Amino acid sequence: MMGRVQAAAPRTIPEISALVGGFNGRIAYIAGGTDLIIALDHETPPEVIVDISQIADLAGIDVYPTHILIGAATTLAALAEHPVLRDRLPVLTQAAGQVGSVQIRNRATLGGNIASAVPAGDLLPALKCLDARINVLTRAGAGTASEFDDIVTGMGETSLSNGDLITGICIPLARGKTWLSAFAKLGRRTTLSIARLNLAAVADYDRPQNRLRELRVVAGAIGPVPVRLHALERRLRARIVDQSFGEDFLHALTAAVDAAIPGRCSHAYKRRAVVGLGLDLLRGLLGRDFELAAAVSVMP
Amino acid sequence: MLITLCVNGTDYQCEVAALEKLSHFLRETLGLTGLKEGCGEGECGACTVLIEDQPVNSCLVLAFQVHGKRITTIEGLENPDGSLSGLQQAFVNHGAIQCGYCTPGMVMSCEGLLRKNPDCSEVEIRHALAGNLCRCTGFVSIVAAVKASTTLTVAAAAAAE
Repeated sequence: MMGRVQAAAPRTIPEISALVGGFNGRIAYIAGGTDLIIALDHETPPEVIVDISQIADLAGIDVYPTHILIGAATTLAALAEHPVLRDRLPVLTQAAGQVGSVQIRNRATLGGNIASAVPAGDLLPALKCLDARINVLTRAGAGTASEFDDIVTGMGETSLSNGDLITGICIPLARGKTWLSAFAKLGRRTTLSIARLNLAAVADYDRPQNRLRELRVVAGAIGPVPVRLHALERRLRARIVDQSFGEDFLHALTAAVDAAIPGRCSHAYKRRAVVGLGLDLLRGLLGRDFELAAAVSVMP
Repeated sequence: MLITLCVNGTDYQCEVAALEKLSHFLRETLGLTGLKEGCGEGECGACTVLIEDQPVNSCLVLAFQVHGKRITTIEGLENPDGSLSGLQQAFVNHGAIQCGYCTPGMVMSCEGLLRKNPDCSEVEIRHALAGNLCRCTGFVSIVAAVKASTTLTVAAAAAAE
C-alpha cells in the first residue's frame, strides 16, 4: 500500500500547479504534517503526497502599512516569535504559542491549522476575530481570496476541493487605532492539550475615555466552527471599562455557551469554565483583573 | 524517492517510501535506534531529534521531507573522542536517567533548547520540555541537569575550580 503512493517535492509555486494541474487522483499536501500524518495512519492514503514545507515563497511574514501577509507554510513557532506580530497581533502569537509543544510548533503551520478545521483549532478564533482573508491556489492554478467563514465550513470541513492549496493569510490592519487583542485557552493540561475552550478578542480601546469603541470576540470549541459572540459584543460595545463591564462580560460568556451547546454533556462544565477563561482574556486584553465573585454568585 | 541528507555529520543518499516516517527511517535504515517511538502521534517526545537545530517529533515528519536537511540524533551528541557531551554528563551526574526510555528524546529537546537559549531559566526549561513526557523522574533532576549546563553555570563552575 505504501509503495503505491507517489511523493513529490516541488520547489516553487508554479511547480505545484504543473504537478497537480492535470492530475485527477487524490492529492494530499503536507507541510508540518502534525495532523496529516496521524490521519494517514487511519485513512486511505492519497495517490500523491506533495511536500510544501520547503517552498520559500509559501513561508514568511510580510508587514505592510495596511495588512500583514503570512505564508501558509509559516510554522507556528515562527509566528509566535515574530516581534512585529507579538506587538501588533498578540491574539495570533498567543494562539500560535499555545499549540502543542515546542516540537509540534517547529513543524505545524498556519495553513495546516486552517485546513484541519477542527472545532478546537487554536488559530481559528484568532483568524476569524482578525477578519483574515485566506488565499487559495486552486488545482487549476487560479488564485482566490476568501473570507474565513467561506473556507472553514464545518467540523473538519473546508470548502477546498481536491488539489486546492492554501497559500497565504492576509490580515488587515486598522491604521490610527489602538487595537488591543488577546487569546486565552483552556485545556486539560497547561500544554500539549487540545482546547476545551478558547477565546479570541480584538478591541479598539479609547484609553482617555476608558471605553471600547469596537469589540470582537470569537469562541472556539463550542460548536463545529468558531462562533462570533454578537450578543456579547452588542452588550459591551462602547461601555466604560469598569467592574460592571467585567461582570457583564463574564455573564455574556456564560450566556453564549448556553446558546451554543445546550444539552451537550460538556455544557455544565463549559458554562462555568468560560468565566475563568474570560477573566484570563480580559487580563490579556485590557491588562486588568476583574472580580470574579459577583459573576459566579448568580450562576446556578 | 531518493533523498540526500546529513545525519550527525555524515552525508547519506537513500531511497525512501512516500509515507515512511523519519523515525522509522532513522531507526531501521540508518540503525540509529536511540530515539524511541513512544506514541507515534507527537504526544510523548520520545522520538525527538533536531532538524537544523530545532527539536521535532520524528514520528510526525515524513523522511522525504528532510531532503537536503541536517539532522542530529542522540548518537550525534558525543564528543569526537567518544566521551559524553557536557549535557549528557550532566544528566548522568544529576540522576536524570531512570528507566531511560524518555532519555534520548529528552536530551535532544534539552540540546535544542540550549543551542537556542544557552542561559535559559528554570521556567524556560520547563516550558521547553512540555513536549517530553517522563514517568520516572518527575522532571526535577532533568531540570537540574539542564540548569547545570547553561553557559553561566558552566562558567561559574570553571571559575570556582
